Amino acid sequence: MIINGIFLPFPLFVLSVGTMLLLASVTLHRSSRLSFSLGLLTLVLATVMTYYPAPIMPLAATQTLFFADTWANYTAALILLSASCIFILSWQDVTQRSARSADEYALLLLLGALGATAMVFSVNYMPFFLGVEILSIALIGLVTFRSRHTQKGLEAAMKYLILSGVSSAILLFGIGLSYSVTGSLVFEFSTAGHETGTGIAAAASIMVLSGIFFKLSAVPFHMWILDVMEGASVPIAGFIAVVPKIGIFSALVRYFGSEPVTPFLHNTMSAIIILTILGGNLLALCQTSLIRLMACSSIAHVGYLLIAFYSPGHFQSDTMVLYLAAYTAATLGTFSIIQAFVSPEGLQRSTISDWKGLFFTHPFLAVAMTAMLLSLAGIPPTIGFFAKFEIAASGLEQRHYILLTALIVGSIIALYYYLNIIRLMTTPNTSLNIGQNKKTNLTIYSTVFILTLIVFVGGIFPSFFMNSIHPALPSTRAEYLQSHIPLP
Amino acid sequence: MHILALTSACISILGAFMVITRRVAVHAVLYLVVTLLALACVLALLGAPFAAALEVIIYAGAIMVLFVFVIMMLNLGKPDRDRETEWLRPRAWVGPAALASILGMELLFGLRTLSGTGITFQITPREVGLSLFGPYVLMVELASFLLLTGLVTAFHIGRHWPGEH
Repeated sequence: MIINGIFLPFPLFVLSVGTMLLLASVTLHRSSRLSFSLGLLTLVLATVMTYYPAPIMPLAATQTLFFADTWANYTAALILLSASCIFILSWQDVTQRSARSADEYALLLLLGALGATAMVFSVNYMPFFLGVEILSIALIGLVTFRSRHTQKGLEAAMKYLILSGVSSAILLFGIGLSYSVTGSLVFEFSTAGHETGTGIAAAASIMVLSGIFFKLSAVPFHMWILDVMEGASVPIAGFIAVVPKIGIFSALVRYFGSEPVTPFLHNTMSAIIILTILGGNLLALCQTSLIRLMACSSIAHVGYLLIAFYSPGHFQSDTMVLYLAAYTAATLGTFSIIQAFVSPEGLQRSTISDWKGLFFTHPFLAVAMTAMLLSLAGIPPTIGFFAKFEIAASGLEQRHYILLTALIVGSIIALYYYLNIIRLMTTPNTSLNIGQNKKTNLTIYSTVFILTLIVFVGGIFPSFFMNSIHPALPSTRAEYLQSHIPLP
Repeated sequence: MHILALTSACISILGAFMVITRRVAVHAVLYLVVTLLALACVLALLGAPFAAALEVIIYAGAIMVLFVFVIMMLNLGKPDRDRETEWLRPRAWVGPAALASILGMELLFGLRTLSGTGITFQITPREVGLSLFGPYVLMVELASFLLLTGLVTAFHIGRHWPGEH
């Protein structure tokens, strides 16, 4: 929407209004049910709003803060749907506790979604950085919501606070240096200054990329995610695995456009991708906790996604769109199944050996879990197979043979630890008890059912997700704006 | 002019290093004040007097008061008199005072030699306000959401729940 020549994407507008309404309702009447319904309603409305075509933006290209193209709308819809899913998963967990704490939970989840959405739509460093910070600070608060092991949650929040602060400082320094070289805050990789060889432009890009890779948890910057996800409650761990990564990845794609990465970053990108894939998978091998294992697997999946990002070509946009959907559905599905086994007192069954014999006691959840894990491993007939196939195709198109070798080695390692969980689930002997409350089970079961359906339908008809959602290039963006500026 | 800016920058780095190596919080805060004043000098010499003034008023002024206040609240172990004599030993304040006096001399020198030759293009508070509430009004709103998030998070973490912990 446009007010006085200032463009604000519809979903962001709905989210801000929803946040303010939630605040107002909290001041009038404190009820966890009301807060959660209001939060969920806002997210659903904002998701619907991503389908509305963006209006014409009457601003000069240099002054634009937000831009809504199909890529931004698609990733925003993914973020909002994931956040709604997290809302549904944590419903029972939080509303059982006192109403005051539930209000804050709903508020912080909504603000986190707002931050991620702001990142996705931003074409300027300012909204991007503000979005990153809103999301990180909301996450610090969300990590501490844990009915048991409050100390563990606080410890994780403290770790995240310090590390995310350091990475934000690096990002901000990079933005400052980039401004000193180019004189503009437009959020795009600028080749200006690289020819003169002063090093400032290179330092700026490296620092901005470091900040982005930290939030993406690519390998040299991945250490925080294991501890933070383990310290958080199960739905919030799912939130950390999905929402910030989609937001930051979308912004990264926007940063480079879909043009080839400049030559001086070739070695850096290849090294980061190989380290991320191998590091994530090797770390996952020695984990005994399912949540830590999922954290490692999310690191590895970021590596696969970066291959798609690094291989511009015919397949790139389809690959990124399909892979984001596949990763989101399978990860959220896994976390909903883990959440189904959290006891009403908040005790997590996250050790892998706890999952023995699930096929005999809870056949539906076991089948769904198998589907999710197979999708993450990339085995047909799940959506993960086509996603990984597309990544291999796009890598092959650009002849990134070393990266493809890393992809294959990583996938083989991943197969071992994913199949190991399935093997354990088929072993008899069980001690697993599902949460007592029938109503919780119904919501979680239906969430799991829908996600399983997405995983299978996406695996059989992947073309549903591949309708060429290209991120608008900076040049086309400028042209678009030029052509729509009303003549004076 | 270059020498002045570089000296201030060196002082700010030195001060920042001293901030993170001090063991007593109040001593660290003294160095932090010097660091912020040096940063303000750098900004002023770069031609951003408004940013420099904000740095002094908000950071060295308001936020430092908050820091000192929090330190006072948290240090409840010893009697006040002992604590204050320990804080006011020369060893604690000579370093920051020396750095601050270098900055002060710079300021006096700058006032004498640089007045008149100053910056022709100045960013006034009026211009800052106009651009904040003109093209960048959405950023102000987004920043307010950031503050709201920080507030809710701090409120949640800082509160004691009966029955939990």
